Amino acid sequence: MAGCVPAVPPELIVALDAIDHDLIALGAPQAAPEEYAYFARQWVSLRARVHADDDLIRWPWESNDIEEELRRLQREGGTTVVRLNERRSRQRSTAESTVTRLEQRFLAMASQVQSFDGRVALGEKPVQTDLLIKQARLFFEQKDYARSIQAAEQASHALRIQTTALTQELGRYADDRQLRQWQAMVKQTVDWSRTHQSTAIVVSKADRELTLYKNGRRVLSYPVRLGFNGIREKLFQGDGATPEGRYRVIDARGAGQTQFYRALVLDYPNTEDRRRFRMAKQSGKIALTKNIGGQIEIHGVESELMAQTLGCIMLDNRHMAELFARVSSGTPVTIVGALTGSNSIALALSQLADQKDKT
Amino acid sequence: MILVRQMLVPVALAALIAAGCTKPPSEKIEAAEKAVKDAQQSGAGTYTAEEYAKLEGTLEALKKEVSEQDGKLALFRDYGKVEQLAATTAAEGARVKGEVDKKKEEAKAGALQAQQVAQEAVAATLKLVAKAPVGKDRAAVEAIKSDADALQAALSQIQTAIDKEDYLAAQTQARAINDKSRAVSDEIQSALAKTGKGKSSPSRKN
Repeated sequence: MAGCVPAVPPELIVALDAIDHDLIALGAPQAAPEEYAYFARQWVSLRARVHADDDLIRWPWESNDIEEELRRLQREGGTTVVRLNERRSRQRSTAESTVTRLEQRFLAMASQVQSFDGRVALGEKPVQTDLLIKQARLFFEQKDYARSIQAAEQASHALRIQTTALTQELGRYADDRQLRQWQAMVKQTVDWSRTHQSTAIVVSKADRELTLYKNGRRVLSYPVRLGFNGIREKLFQGDGATPEGRYRVIDARGAGQTQFYRALVLDYPNTEDRRRFRMAKQSGKIALTKNIGGQIEIHGVESELMAQTLGCIMLDNRHMAELFARVSSGTPVTIVGALTGSNSIALALSQLADQKDKT
Repeated sequence: MILVRQMLVPVALAALIAAGCTKPPSEKIEAAEKAVKDAQQSGAGTYTAEEYAKLEGTLEALKKEVSEQDGKLALFRDYGKVEQLAATTAAEGARVKGEVDKKKEEAKAGALQAQQVAQEAVAATLKLVAKAPVGKDRAAVEAIKSDADALQAALSQIQTAIDKEDYLAAQTQARAINDKSRAVSDEIQSALAKTGKGKSSPSRKN
């Protein structure tokens, strides 16, 4: 019996137990279930055999299959620990950079969209994206890097959709053909002012600016507020969009004649607006039940609570008083999206496209 | 010759008896396999991944032992260890399943609680939205309304995750909705504080 040897060196069992603990500490059962399952199955199976064999007498010259298998598992387990450590570290780094980049991109986008009041145009999309980014951050904090990356990828996709939706909705602000058309409209209005030695008004939605021309010369400019969805193209009553086109003042309402400080009523909808509205209905762009709306005005502020319109153009009362004094019925009013290609919306869209390409 | 036959008969009988006693304990093995399957179906791979992996290892050891004994001559077969392993596997399977059920209940309770908190936060936000001043910074108010609608719609995602028994995802979604909802509420509170008033009269504008 003195020649007998232990079936398996005890330190080998201790070493494998330590590897098992390392794998659990690394979160291998959740992070790498297949690899951990392989190790655990082998380990438990071999340990059961070790317990079963510990009453057997083994001679030194007898081969010891269990020990060989345990040593092989020790090597494989050790390699798995190293690999998982590296993988986890990589995943952590990827998740952290992805989530941080997304958060920055989302904030930048929100700020750009806010700068031209485009938030309404995106509807529920920003919240959906924000929730995904928050989830990605929460999973990261819980050290669930795989899910964090997954949520971040979904958020990134949602951001791309948002950018595309904005580009589709507001792309005309960067469209050369559209810009040339707007520039031509403005030129005709200014020319009319010169020819008729009269006043004319030009409103640029992107610049949020109203300019008064007299005898073809620019005499004053004021900042304006638009409808709550002002940058969009007006389609129907209640959409909050400010119309684009060539109009005329049809009524100048002084104190007591309007709920606002002063108001210049425009001839919206004109023939062109009605044609566009009809076509939009026919093409299914808007529901058949929608109305075209009306009562588009350039007006002052009613009260603190009415600081934004539903589609009109609003000035501070002081500016409205100055304008009202210089304008009368019949004055042409041209409302355009933008005057140049380097308008704020086109620039914001371009920056968003750059960010989209980078991520 | 007769003598030889007389001697062989008892040996053959003994061998037959021995063979009859060394059959694998099929019922116990099946019970062990069923216990592992039950544990797996209850979600052990998700909730107690570590213990489930080890349970599978025990079952594998059992199968290996059965296979080893099956490979021996009938006279030398001994299924004693198989019986022992089968009993261990069945007991461990039942224990793991119990553990899974417990953890699932805990996770579900956590998810339901988080869901309730999120629902309350969204309800409070919607209540505030109804008070939001329509005139003041209308674009922002419209955007806030849109945000609140999106939050309400997102609540259904929590239920979907709960229905799928993905309680971790449900909790995370609920927390995200709760956070966002509070942010939106703060935005409305801030707008209300600035105006110091509630809704203004609806405008006649288009």
